[in-house]
Amino acid sequence: MSYNASFERLPISACFDLKGAENALVEWIGAEILPGFPTEANRRRSADGLSLDHVGPRHWLLHADIDREDELNAALRPHLAPAEVSIVRISDTMTTFRVAGADVAHVLAIGCPLDLHETAFPEDAVTFTEFFGQKALVRRCAGGFDVSVEQSYGDMMEDCLTRALR
Amino acid sequence: MMLIPCPFCGHRNESEFAYGGPVKPDRPDPHAASDEDWVDWLTTVPNPLGPVEERWWHVKGCGTWLTIWRDTRTHCVVEGSGDAG
Ligand SMILES: [Zn+2]
Repeated sequence: MSYNASFERLPISACFDLKGAENALVEWIGAEILPGFPTEANRRRSADGLSLDHVGPRHWLLHADIDREDELNAALRPHLAPAEVSIVRISDTMTTFRVAGADVAHVLAIGCPLDLHETAFPEDAVTFTEFFGQKALVRRCAGGFDVSVEQSYGDMMEDCLTRALR
Repeated sequence: MMLIPCPFCGHRNESEFAYGGPVKPDRPDPHAASDEDWVDWLTTVPNPLGPVEERWWHVKGCGTWLTIWRDTRTHCVVEGSGDAG
């Protein structure tokens, strides 16, 4: 049988890896630039085209469209950051697949061990997990899920998804 | 399948984790310990029939190292998560 779902590989987007205590990051970056910190683990907070994912202890990912990368880089000043925080531009290290359709939950279940039911994985949920054996960032999008993997696994993921959808 | 409790993420599938080995007793002073005790500490892996204290790394998740007690008879996590970080 085949599933009622499809996937596409999204164009590159801007992504910055932020590590450190929340107050140290706010002090360096300035609260007005960030969309606010998510209050719970593995949750996303979005505002003004930016989103901030709380993906680990003292660890966040800041996402935006790629055309805002230079602006954000200038604001975050990764190369000048103090020792208490780490800011790394990682836009080109990840590649993202958008998987959507009526059967998307079945397709995700083939490659991902997470409970993705909306009661366990609500609208603003985001987490690192595994997808077809590789570390992957999973979050919801309209009608499905966005799954990001380290970009060198991109072709392999494309192959895995193609076979899963057959 | 084993569900391992991560202090940051909650219960997650064992496939997201890397095994970090059993928790060993504190390292004895090599100058004070007998040869037998020193070799025992270096080479003997705790392998009880029952609960064993283990380290696991949530390597495909949030990156946290954690400590759990796993019962070797049932494969159940009987206590955890110990420490995060
Ligand atoms: Zn975790």
